[in-house]
Amino acid sequence: VSEGPSRWHTSGSLARALAVGGFGVAIALTVGRPAVVVLVGPLLVAGALALLRKPEHEPSVLAHLSHLQLYEGQGTRSRLETSGTEDAEFVTRVMGQQPFLALHPVGGAVLSRADDVRPIEISPRRWGERMVGVEKIAMTSPWAGYRWGPVALSGREMFVLPTVTRMRSGGEAPQPIGLIGAHRSRRVGGGTEFSSIRAFHAGDRLRRINWRVSLRQGTLHVESTRAEEDTAVLLIVDALADFGVSEGVGGSESSLDVTVRAAAAIADQYLAGGDRVSLRVLSPGGEYAGYGTGTRHLRRILGLLARVRPGIPRDVSIEQIDFRATAGTVVVVISPMLSEALAIATVRLVRRGLPVMVVDPLPPGSVPQVHPDPAAQVARLAWRMRLLDRSHLLAQLAAAGCPVVPWNGPRTLEEVLRRLARRSQLPRIGVG
Amino acid sequence: MRLSVAPSVWVLRALGVLGLMLALLAGVPEGYTPSVVLAVVVLLGGVLSAFRPDHLAVSVTLCIVVLWWGLQVRTEVPLGCVVAAAGLVVAHVAGTLLAYGPPFMPIPSDLVALWAWRGFLVWLAAPVVWLVARVYADHDVPTSYWLAGLATALVGAVVAAVVVPARGGQ
Repeated sequence: VSEGPSRWHTSGSLARALAVGGFGVAIALTVGRPAVVVLVGPLLVAGALALLRKPEHEPSVLAHLSHLQLYEGQGTRSRLETSGTEDAEFVTRVMGQQPFLALHPVGGAVLSRADDVRPIEISPRRWGERMVGVEKIAMTSPWAGYRWGPVALSGREMFVLPTVTRMRSGGEAPQPIGLIGAHRSRRVGGGTEFSSIRAFHAGDRLRRINWRVSLRQGTLHVESTRAEEDTAVLLIVDALADFGVSEGVGGSESSLDVTVRAAAAIADQYLAGGDRVSLRVLSPGGEYAGYGTGTRHLRRILGLLARVRPGIPRDVSIEQIDFRATAGTVVVVISPMLSEALAIATVRLVRRGLPVMVVDPLPPGSVPQVHPDPAAQVARLAWRMRLLDRSHLLAQLAAAGCPVVPWNGPRTLEEVLRRLARRSQLPRIGVG
Repeated sequence: MRLSVAPSVWVLRALGVLGLMLALLAGVPEGYTPSVVLAVVVLLGGVLSAFRPDHLAVSVTLCIVVLWWGLQVRTEVPLGCVVAAAGLVVAHVAGTLLAYGPPFMPIPSDLVALWAWRGFLVWLAAPVVWLVARVYADHDVPTSYWLAGLATALVGAVVAAVVVPARGGQ
């Protein structure tokens, strides 16, 4: 946040007092009207008092934000650090209005004494890139005779992270194949989930011995448990277009709002369980995060989601994208499925035997933003036809073994994951 | 986003217009009645002042009122002048307060109280001058008296011009 150069200059108030006062005195003296001196006397006194308080020091200002990274809906404060304000009586701060940026006081304008400048509270209401802290500062000398500024302070570019609704899902990964994690594996190993009771083998831990069964059988028996493994999760985020109106946190959501918040929630959910999560955004920026774990990786994913801008990928077509999904990876495609190319890519992943599910982020009743022109009727008709195509596409995806669920909070995937897990444990018939 | 004007700003705007009209109509009880055209002109100037407190039109409107009083009264000093001075002070203070920030910024009550007190203090100059003028009303004033006053005013104007830097100067 920088400071701009400025100097004290006479205010409109002082100019008015002196101009009207001088005009009145001139009339009074030239024409001989003592009554006019009565009229303008107070203004002359006000002007003289303002002149006597002419400032000598040049102030400097610097604005500070209390937080440099925020989640949407959170707030921070912009404080003003001033120096050389001995001659200033009041400070006026007016913060620039930005979309999806709530200010308190409303309008972002604050008038306070120079020795106690009030902070302005800022709250970004939507994820994404926001310019925070753009404001103008002005100071006024005692008796409002002189004004300093307004000086424009440049703001700080902030990537506002999408909100993460923390909720531990009870859904298990269908095919966990990692080393350590929280998902119940199909293979036996060191875990907490009971699997069976079997005869003691060399190498079994003594604390696993089930003494009751061993006494009954006459030989040592141990309890075996299922291994607990992590899984890999690939999040494919469709940011090809944004449908509907976004009003920020607490208001109506556009399809991209739902997409980004759903991706953030799913990433948080799996990373909290120790799983590896990768992110691939289909957008002009092509945001990508490889498989990783932990809080730091979550911050990286949220940061990438905050940078998402809708549009068609520039350098690569969707059909050519290598999603880098190895065997056992849970693939979550968050897309309104209005792109046939993405639907084909999804079916290709299903046919590779990967557990794939589609989360539908299209809010009910949402329409694309079109220019209001005489062809609006045509646009509405085209959108209806597009929605018919979409419903047909979603039905085909479901028939291909890819469940499609509308986003309904972090628990959306639970039931789908359970079904996929049950399906993966069913015996398969080999063909050929 | 369109921001609504703060209620305190509306109050100050109304006070500014009322102050100007009071300054113009203060002499009505004593027989100094302005024409309807002049009243409309001052009213329009007051409305403009309310929305553009730093505009030159504000000073012009105040000067119109002062000029009208200068044309109406001769050597007499009616009590209405003191009331008119109060009106001018109210209009000036309202304009000063409105110029502190944009219209959607509420004006703090402590600032309003401070300026109300300041306005009252400077207005006290009006009854003092009125009293002095009334005391000397029946005396003959020599021409040299007016010339000395004019010279003092000119010196004051020159000093003010030197002390006050031009806008954007230095």
